[in-house]
Amino acid sequence: MKDPSKPTSEDSLQADKTQNTAEQTMERLIFSLSELEHLGQTVISGHSNFNHSSKTYLRITLGTLQVTRGTILRYHPTRQNLEVVASAPDAVFSPLAVEPDEVANLLQHPFIERAAIPESLEQFFTRSAKLIETIDVHLWVPLKIQDEFLGLIGLGKFLGREALEAWEKELLTTLAHQISIAIAYSQMVEGIQSEKFRLFMLAESAPQICQLLQPEAAAEQVVHQAVSLLDANAGALMLTRPEQQQLEMHFTFPETLVEDIEEHNGLVIPYGEEVSVPPEATSADVLKSVVNEGIPGHCPPKSDTLFGGKNLMAVPIPGRDGDVLGVLVVGDKEERGGSIAPFTDEDEILLDSFAKQAGVAIENAHLHQEALEARQLQAEMEEARKIQVNLIPDMLPDIPGYEIAGHYEPRGPVGGDYYDCIALSTGYWGLAIADVSGKGMQAALLMATLRAGLISELSRGDTTVVENGEQDTPDPAVLYTELAEMALTLNSLLYASGTEEKYATFFYSHLNPETDILTTLNAGHNPPLLVRADGTYKWLGEEVGGIPLGMFPNDMVANIADYEAEHVQLASGDVVVYYTDGVTETVNIEDEYYEEDRLVEASKACKDSGAEAIRKYLHDSVMGFQGEADQFDDLTLLILRKQ
Amino acid sequence: MLDKFDIQIREEKEHAVIETEGYLNDALGEQLAEKAHELIQNGYTQLVINLEKTSLINSIGISILIEIIEVLTEREGALNFCGLSSTQERTFRMMAIAKYAGIFPDEESAVANL
Repeated sequence: MKDPSKPTSEDSLQADKTQNTAEQTMERLIFSLSELEHLGQTVISGHSNFNHSSKTYLRITLGTLQVTRGTILRYHPTRQNLEVVASAPDAVFSPLAVEPDEVANLLQHPFIERAAIPESLEQFFTRSAKLIETIDVHLWVPLKIQDEFLGLIGLGKFLGREALEAWEKELLTTLAHQISIAIAYSQMVEGIQSEKFRLFMLAESAPQICQLLQPEAAAEQVVHQAVSLLDANAGALMLTRPEQQQLEMHFTFPETLVEDIEEHNGLVIPYGEEVSVPPEATSADVLKSVVNEGIPGHCPPKSDTLFGGKNLMAVPIPGRDGDVLGVLVVGDKEERGGSIAPFTDEDEILLDSFAKQAGVAIENAHLHQEALEARQLQAEMEEARKIQVNLIPDMLPDIPGYEIAGHYEPRGPVGGDYYDCIALSTGYWGLAIADVSGKGMQAALLMATLRAGLISELSRGDTTVVENGEQDTPDPAVLYTELAEMALTLNSLLYASGTEEKYATFFYSHLNPETDILTTLNAGHNPPLLVRADGTYKWLGEEVGGIPLGMFPNDMVANIADYEAEHVQLASGDVVVYYTDGVTETVNIEDEYYEEDRLVEASKACKDSGAEAIRKYLHDSVMGFQGEADQFDDLTLLILRKQ
Repeated sequence: MLDKFDIQIREEKEHAVIETEGYLNDALGEQLAEKAHELIQNGYTQLVINLEKTSLINSIGISILIEIIEVLTEREGALNFCGLSSTQERTFRMMAIAKYAGIFPDEESAVANL
């Protein structure tokens, strides 16, 4: 059969001479019927994408109607434009904008002839002038199924005739209907593919994100999956900080989005107050509302620039207890062709379902992280305890004319109590007690630093030795200066240690067993108790106590409370009780503190015993007071008794 | 790195490899389709798409891949994918992409099985 879509010049001449002969009409009808069948097959078994098949539809239409030029335009409701998907001759055209009222008018006309354009559509066809001119469109046929506008067919000049005959118009109507079915079919297939993808991704992604044990990885996957699931081009996860009533940004996609958000101070958004969402609400208002009310929220595009002016949809992320863990945000739903579509009710339901799974994943990851940290902390505590215990002397030395006894008892998290009795090369003795800040490894390391610094300072030499090498009674002024300098050195050492909580209360005593002079220096420690043989008592270093070591740099220490030494003369039967705040701050079940008064009374009661007996008495006194109450601070005692 | 996106083309004698990087959404998908159609126009009907650097795909990206498969099928060509994550591979099987295109772990085997 001869293809009427490819007429020869001979055909054209013949057509001019003998138009619409019965024989020619019959031939074209038979061709048309076969092409209609071909078109129908293309529709039901062809490509999922209409644009790809549109050239075939155009070729069949032009061939059937003996037209050499034509075009098919597909309508995109969300973009409100008509895309030229096929044209003969083949050319590239920009999409044609079409207003809703113009769509309604196009639906009113089965055919729109170039010579009789309705007034209501004049503007539309004026905007389409380039296409009309290139294709030389003479007749437009709207594509529709019932009242749904799907596109347009434009036909060029009719070969050998001025207009289509009635039967040709009927044929054109049938072709237009077939093409409309093809567009609707394509839309349906695209929709099914998209929904199939989304449902699969929802089912697939939920178990995957729940397996992620790192909170950061879970946050990243939650955002990525939400963006993919919603065909969005941006996303963000913000988590609540209930104590501060704040939403805090945890992850954004693309990651560069966080820079925009930071620039607009949106990384932390307070949500405590109820926020009504006015029509001109900012995206921050919408996010607050999502947390406060626990329901999804939408923010139209360009409402503000916090998320780069994107069209946002946000849903709450529920926790196990029904509280809101955070907000999952997606931005700008993409459509094929680069346009942005509004998020639909179905999108909201989908994201809401995903957010429920995300909540489980985020909680799982955080619980895992907490368990891991607790395990690490436990291991660190054990290591720290070993270090700390190793720093405390197993045995205390014998000091001629004195008795000495020490006690260290860990209670609760590892603290940083320390005591020591160090023999100096000059025959003097250094007694130290300290309580370093913090807990765990940090406290243990700080204590080790303090001890190393102390020993280093004490072994540097001693200016109290006279020139001929014989040991002599030290000049108190020189010793005071030396101890103050030592305190500054230790202060500087701890301040530079780099740990967060890097200070220690410290009390040092320099004992000359020949003269029984005890020179002391206090750096913020609980003043030791001196109980005289006659039962009177005094607190050592109470009047001249400096600030704890490591709290401020040396140049500031002088402005606050300089380190000063003082001395006392010890006599037979005098007892010095060094202790840490774990003693005086021991609580009983009535929530009462042991306090200094009880320490004084207990010390006075046992002052005539030996050092070890005093230690035991005081320990028993504290423990008896404590009873069944839990304690959280270590208990340290160091007893020095002049025989 | 999902923030950036890029397409690399390697044209060999009998086949061509398209390597994508970034989120396979409308923007990257349209570029991919354009490159694939250019290659097909230039006579390449044996294509490999390497998605190793594309960990995220949305439904538009999937529909664009289906279209490329349709065009190649029409020309009796072949398309193989490689570098897919396990989720992507399951997605491709569920979306019936795997019915019309091969899935291979690496580029070498994807090329060898064209």
